[in-house]
Formats: sequence, structure tokens, C-alpha cells
Amino acid sequence: MTAYSKRDVLLQARDLSLSYGDKCILHDINFTIRDIIRPGMLQGQVVSLVGRSGIGKTQLFRILSGLQRPSSGSITIRERKPAETGNGSIEVYQERPVRPGDMGVIFQNYYQFGWRTVKQSLLLAARRNKALAGKEEDTLLQYADQFDIADVLHRWPAQLSGGQQQRVSIIQQLLKGADFLLLDEPFSGLDVCVLDKVVELLLQVSLSDELKTLIIVSHDIATAIAISDTVFILGRQAGREGSTLVKEIDLIERGLAWQKEVRQEKVFAETLGEIKGAL
Amino acid sequence: MFRPFEKISRQTFLIMVVLQVLFTLVVWQLSPGGLIPQPTHVLAALSQLLTTRLLIDNLLVSLVLTLQAMFYSIVITLIFSYLSVIPFFHSIAQFIVKCRYLTLTGLIFIFTLLTRDGSQLKLSLLVFGIVPFFTTSFLAVILRIPAQEYELCQTLGYNRWESLYEVIVVGKADQVFEMVRQNFAIAWMMITMVEGLSMSEGGIGALLIKYNKYNDLTRVLALQGLIFMIGLCFDYLLGLLRHWLFPYTKVHQK
Repeated sequence: MTAYSKRDVLLQARDLSLSYGDKCILHDINFTIRDIIRPGMLQGQVVSLVGRSGIGKTQLFRILSGLQRPSSGSITIRERKPAETGNGSIEVYQERPVRPGDMGVIFQNYYQFGWRTVKQSLLLAARRNKALAGKEEDTLLQYADQFDIADVLHRWPAQLSGGQQQRVSIIQQLLKGADFLLLDEPFSGLDVCVLDKVVELLLQVSLSDELKTLIIVSHDIATAIAISDTVFILGRQAGREGSTLVKEIDLIERGLAWQKEVRQEKVFAETLGEIKGAL
Repeated sequence: MFRPFEKISRQTFLIMVVLQVLFTLVVWQLSPGGLIPQPTHVLAALSQLLTTRLLIDNLLVSLVLTLQAMFYSIVITLIFSYLSVIPFFHSIAQFIVKCRYLTLTGLIFIFTLLTRDGSQLKLSLLVFGIVPFFTTSFLAVILRIPAQEYELCQTLGYNRWESLYEVIVVGKADQVFEMVRQNFAIAWMMITMVEGLSMSEGGIGALLIKYNKYNDLTRVLALQGLIFMIGLCFDYLLGLLRHWLFPYTKVHQK
């Protein structure tokens, strides 16, 4: 098995609940995402949150992104900040509640401002990132090359294909510099070839930084298992209204993480069956 | 051509419009006249009017007044519409919207007291008449903005003022232009009405009232035709300008 260890807490959700009036949507949601360390390589985290349609995944997605306040509970993230010491600049870490703008959010329909060209939109995001000061355009062009959208930088969002829109949204949030990337149903409506490319792209993003953490909300369980190191299952408990996390599966322990041909593994099929059973 | 949702080419559409106009003119020409002058007479009167200094001068007076009124109306509308997302100003914007139901006729005396001369009176009446309709249109645009536009701003770390600037000021600039285009007709229609209040400065409205007074229906119709054509030209030019200034509107149209 690949050597790894789980260290600092990067994100912690504590006792989250969401209700609209008397109607309970989510209750008692607790989970932790830790920094995964693999000796000799940059390894980010890929966490999937799976559940049936209408179970409250999008609501949890919105709470995680800071766009919606939970009725109770909290989400805290580990923030890195540059600090000056006598020996130069170092990075210090602090835990604080999540705020809108902390997470890179990629919506299901990859929405972009229709009045900005791709390049203008990406520059807007890059200019928010203080770490890129003075090199916004260069970094943008690097990402555009890497993600194969260099030839559409001067187009309007309405002129892009679905795949191009998705890549633009991902680059935009990467340029913003957030450690966390939240993706709402990134595999929805994609054909098999494009799906493989998207999986590869997301893995590429997760390997770009030690603290880069992808949180994928999806109902495509097979693809979610194939790409993630941890899966959280959102489901219902008998006799209770609303949804909660009913199971956490550590895919690294099962030998299912970071493998290209994971779908061929017997344990993959077993895990898939286990998750389906838990939904 | 007679089936619902049938798509026809631009060329076919233009040919169809020309034929329909010609058909209408022929029917009008051949119908028993009575008091209504025939199109050939109206056309002759228009040709004659176009050669006179009188029409050009009056037309310029009306155009300048309309453009002035449009300018002030746009400025006032934009200020109150942008501010309408701030609760304190929302009620003021809503009040302006409701002012559509106030008749200008009942306010002429008040405006006469508040303004210095006839020119100011006409301008203020026009602005007062246009602003509620502009504001109604723009508030509808703001209300239709999908939540995702604001949410994208939030995810990019914009504060509320930055979101207002990006989504409403920059993002809806093309729609302001479209709104101006659509509401220009109101200004152009009202100009003939307010010019009747202070005829000493002239204007196409004053000219219309004069010809109406002498029952010169041929010239009245000639002027109406001219007003109609100028309105269409402005509509077309503003449309072209919108596509030029905001090229993405062409993409969305496709």
C-alpha cells in the first residue's frame, strides 16, 4: 500500500443543520478533512459527497461555500497567511469560520459573466489574488495553456462548449488562489470521453498543491469513488426528517485512491455496492 | 409563411414588409378619400415641407429638446435604479415607478411655478414624464438578475459594492442601452405634446398644432410620417450602437 499519513485538519464541519421553517433539510452533519501527506510528492485531497437526488447535497454545497448560513453549527477552515519573521517570510496557519469567497466554487452550469470575455473574467479573478501581484497575466496564460483553452481567451462565455466553460470556471477559481475547490455535479451530463478528461483534469488540480482540497458533490457514485480519497454519504436515518452523513469511507485504506485503473479492482465494485446500499 | 414559429430569411422578411407597405399604400390611394388626404398628396406635402427652412428649424428644436430630456432622464433613472438595491433608496425608486399614474396635465401649473421659462418647463415635463417609465424598465431588469451572478461575485471575494458595480453597473450596461432604445419612443411621442405648452420656441409639436388648427390634414399627416421615420431611424441607430458598444449582445442574440 502507498505510504501516507493524515495530519492537520484543513476543514471541519461541526453539528451542521439546516431548516426552512419547520422543515428539516440537514441535521447533525459532522466531518473533518485532513491534510494527506505522501512522502516525496505534492498530494492534495479529493473528497466526494454523494447522495441521491433531492437529498440536500446542493444545500450542503452552498453552506460549505459560505453562500448560505446553516441554521446551526459551523464550518471552520485552516487558513494560511504569509508572515514576516526576522529570517524572512514564512506561512502561518490559523483556524477560522468559512466566509463567502474562501472557497473556489464551480457551479453545475459553470456560470460566467456574459459581459466579460474569458480573459477578462480570468483576470478579474487573478487580480483578487495578492500572491499573483504583477504576474496575473503570465499565470493566466500558463493555466490557459495547461488546460487547453488558450485559443478561446478572447471569446464570450456563450461561445464556449460545455467542457471549455468547465475549464474556464476551474481556472478562474484556481487563479483566485483558494485552497478549497467546491464542485457541484462536475460529471453531470458528460459523455464517456469527456468524463475521463474531467477526471484527469481534477486529479491534475489536486496534485498542484499540498493543501489543494477538492470537494466534489455528485450523484455519480462510480466516478466519485474513482477520483476521491474519501467519500461521505449523505442519506436519511430511519424515523428522522432531513438528511445527514450516514457513512464515511476511507478509500486510501481500501487501496482505491490514486489508482488509474481503479474501476477494474474487485474492491471497487464492492465499495460501489456498499455505497449504493447506504443511500 | 403562414405557419406558427416558421423561420424565414431576412431577405424574405424584407420583401414581405415592402409588399405589405405597398399594398397598404395602394389600398389607401384607391379608397374613397373624403376628408383623409391620399398618400400621393401627403408625399407631395412632405417633399414641399422638406425644402423649407421652417421644418428643419422646428425639427432641430424638437431633436435637441428630446436628446436633452433623454440625457437627464437617463442620469436620474440610473442613479435611483442603482441605488434601489440599498433599502433606504428602494422606497424612493418604487415611488418614482408609481409616478407613471400621475397625469402631466394636472402638474403643468406646478411645473410652471417651479421653472423659469418655457424651455425649462418643456424639459422638466418631459423628464418627469419619461423617468417613471425608464425606472420601471430598469428595475425590472435588476429584479430579473439571476442569483448566480451575485453568487459568482461572492465566490470571487467581491464585497457588496463591488458586486453592485460588476453585476448591475457593468453587467447591465447593454440593457440600459436597450431600455433607452425602447423608451425613446415615449420621449419622441411626448415631445409633440409638451411643445404645445410653449409654442413660442417652435418645434415639430408646435408645427403640428398649427397645421391642425387650420385643418391642414395633408401637412399633419406628412409631419406624422416624418416623425415616424425619424423614430425608426433612431431605433435602428441605437440598435447598431448597442451591438458595437457591447459585442456580446450579438452572441446572445444568435
